[in-house]
Amino acid sequence: MKGLLKSMGVTLSAFTRKPVTREYPETHKQLPERDRAFPILLWDHGMNEPFCTGCHACERACPVECMTVLMKDNPNHKSQGGESSRRKIIDKFWIDYGRCMRCNICVEVCNFDAIAMNNTWQGHEKSVYDRSDLVQELPQLLAVHRSGELKPWVVP
Amino acid sequence: MNNELFGKDINVWIDAFIRVNIITIMMTVVVMGLIYLERKAIARFQMRLGPTRTGPMGLLQSVADALKLVAKEDVRPRNADPWIFELAPYFVFVPVFLMFVAIPFAVSWEVRVLDLGLFYVLAVSSVNIVGWVMAGWGSDNRYAMLGALRAAAQSISYELPLVLSMIAIAMVANSLNLSEIVAGQGRIPNIILQPLPFVIFYIAMLAELNRTPFDIPVGESEMVGGPYVEYSGIRWSFFFLAEYASLFILALLASAVFLGGWAWPLGEDWGRWWQFILTGVKAGAMIFSVFWVRSTLPRLRIDQLMTFSWKVLLPLSFIQIMVNGAILVYEPEKEVGQTLLGVTSVFGVFFLAWIINRSVTRPRPRPVVAARGEAVP
Amino acid sequence: MATQVHPDHEFDVQDLMINMGPQHPSTHGVFRMVLVVDGEIVRDVVPYIGYMHRGGEKLAETMDYRQGIGWMDRTEYLAQFNAELSYVMAVEALAELQVPDRAQWIRMILCELNRILSHFMFTGAFGTDVGVFGTAFTYSFREREVIQDLFEEITGDRMMYAYFRPGGLAWEVPDNFVPRVREVLKSVRQGIKDMNGLLTDNEVFRARTVGVGAISAADATDWGCTGPVLRSTGVPLDLRRTEPYLKYDEIDFDVITGTTGDVFERFTCRIGEMWESIRIVEQCLERLEPGPIMPDRMPRMLRTPPGEIYMRTEAPRGEYGIYLVSKGGNRPHRLKIRSSCFANLQALRDMTIGSYVADAVVILGSLDIVLGEVDR
Repeated sequence: MKGLLKSMGVTLSAFTRKPVTREYPETHKQLPERDRAFPILLWDHGMNEPFCTGCHACERACPVECMTVLMKDNPNHKSQGGESSRRKIIDKFWIDYGRCMRCNICVEVCNFDAIAMNNTWQGHEKSVYDRSDLVQELPQLLAVHRSGELKPWVVP
Repeated sequence: MNNELFGKDINVWIDAFIRVNIITIMMTVVVMGLIYLERKAIARFQMRLGPTRTGPMGLLQSVADALKLVAKEDVRPRNADPWIFELAPYFVFVPVFLMFVAIPFAVSWEVRVLDLGLFYVLAVSSVNIVGWVMAGWGSDNRYAMLGALRAAAQSISYELPLVLSMIAIAMVANSLNLSEIVAGQGRIPNIILQPLPFVIFYIAMLAELNRTPFDIPVGESEMVGGPYVEYSGIRWSFFFLAEYASLFILALLASAVFLGGWAWPLGEDWGRWWQFILTGVKAGAMIFSVFWVRSTLPRLRIDQLMTFSWKVLLPLSFIQIMVNGAILVYEPEKEVGQTLLGVTSVFGVFFLAWIINRSVTRPRPRPVVAARGEAVP
Repeated sequence: MATQVHPDHEFDVQDLMINMGPQHPSTHGVFRMVLVVDGEIVRDVVPYIGYMHRGGEKLAETMDYRQGIGWMDRTEYLAQFNAELSYVMAVEALAELQVPDRAQWIRMILCELNRILSHFMFTGAFGTDVGVFGTAFTYSFREREVIQDLFEEITGDRMMYAYFRPGGLAWEVPDNFVPRVREVLKSVRQGIKDMNGLLTDNEVFRARTVGVGAISAADATDWGCTGPVLRSTGVPLDLRRTEPYLKYDEIDFDVITGTTGDVFERFTCRIGEMWESIRIVEQCLERLEPGPIMPDRMPRMLRTPPGEIYMRTEAPRGEYGIYLVSKGGNRPHRLKIRSSCFANLQALRDMTIGSYVADAVVILGSLDIVLGEVDR
């Protein structure tokens, strides 16, 4: 009998405590800066072009082969009369978010710090009606950092 | 053949029709409110918020659920027995509403004053088990079948302590008319005179309602919903409606029979509205305690359930009846008799608690373990 | 599995076969068992596994050592750090890497916190199996959420951490790591107390669990049970004590054992282990010092010499072993996971036969299986 009353007491004390529910769509939890949503590409605000040179390092390192990279000559390179020091630059970049397993390996292998994990809520709220919509194109991948929403976090 | 309703003379058939409609509409609304309250209460016991989306504080959640259930497709399995399957919800649903007829809310404010009101309520309340067995049999589903058999076994076992505890009360109150039982409790409610029957009634009520710790017929984690595993849409909601309606009615019955209904502690002189509020508060406390128990306790097993009913509750209620008889047959003075009744019954409650303690602490035989690799024949 | 006719019944009766799962609320994923019942008594149990087979072992053979870590998370998705630990320790042993002290301490802290998380998951799910209407589940998930928030701040992900690396850790923990862990421990203590108060002394809970699904120490050893399932029978086999890895030999903790090996003891063993884990984490926090988290010279692409190794660690559910064969190069030639749940699940039939249908669910819940690990 004592045990029954004790457990009734536990639930009664919980009844008086404050609920722990987060009402999700209205209140978003503060995401830590190292939160890993999905990989995105970073934008070189000084040079006004992506950091990515299309070197295929991430594509090779990806365990699930969710990336496709195409490289091109940089039209903004110094030899072409531009200002950039990047000889090659990314032409097309697809990441299939449906396959990505968010392991962070692409970020670790990148030599140019050109790819990072999205740590905003945008990166988590990616539901779509069609799987093919999960394949992200280059402008979509660049948008988050270009608009300045990404919280800075550099892997030490 | 005229009858008085709201101070007017009305033909008896129209009168009956109106009363039935009032019951049905009121019960549906009450049930929807109860479902909302239960979800909110259990959510708070679990440190959640419960429904918040539909309407202010989720008040319209039950309405939305009801609309959804009505709009859902009514699926019947191909192998199901069509007649039994389709009729089962009504067999569960109708007896519960019939119970409502005799429950007193205030002075001379009930659907019908029945001289055998207590007897009638208990008789009708045990009919709905037919519906459960029909649902289990008609569904052609093994889970439903097992659930229905469990429901039948449990319902029959716990009907007896329920009835016997009521008989003990009827002996003390010297009546089977619910209004008279309530009116007789003007000074001392029956719970003080007869706590043991109250405890027995409460436990048996949980079992009759298939609530934890006695929810083995529906047992979500083993029987996946029991008899109504194959039901959907409006038919499923009938089962749910019946469950909550009987919760409400049994809480009202407990408040009338044990807690003094509208009579205690205000007496008959206060206005009708006070009596309504008093009845409602008492029934509400009962309902809240049921929610509380539901959110706390695990489920018993079928053998423990039966053992508890047949070996503990039934003998104890018989003993209570015999003690009551022994005290009342000598017609002692009122105070002496009441003190004796109360003291013996409190002793019975402690005895029950001791039995529950002992059942857990005493060493139990190890269960049958099969020789390796062989099934027990 | 044909139905049988029982000779001891008066009439010719056939057994009723009940198919439980793969879609059943209490089969903990996609486990399926066919119960042969006589009334309410279970006469025979036929378990079926494999609904969640994803070929994780084979997939890990196609990936290099760093990529494989992500797959270890997905095999044991309730104790990811422990699964990662076995894998990276196997690779480290093959490649002869020296792990820095700080990395080892942090690994221990995270593994023990993960053990608490996993046991919370167990107590919650077990409470639901026994029949508590979600209360145990929400209480345990409340604390699990606190731990997961901490893990998210450290690793960036809530479930698939991919944080351990052969040689150490992927990156340094945040600056407020120690105070945050203490904060989490404080909350966890309250959670365990709630769990204890809600279930352990509850008469109904005891009635449902004491003496149910008992297995003898000899049988449990023969079936290869490990972890709390074995320890509850009285065998003090804890790999943290018997063959210490990381820094467990420098730490003071008790191995929780039971006596009867029934469902109740399995539950109390896990509760006791949660308290022990808190003790371990507190000691680790005191010993934690600044320092490197990776060896000084790590190759860009890790290659191992040819060889083979079996590395086992004490995961929350028992011995989680990795058998790794390397023929040189940057990926394993063969990877075999010794799954604790799979071994524990074998004993299910012995435990269940002769008990009630409702007990079958409780016994299955008490084994605390993770189907991702059983099927891999």
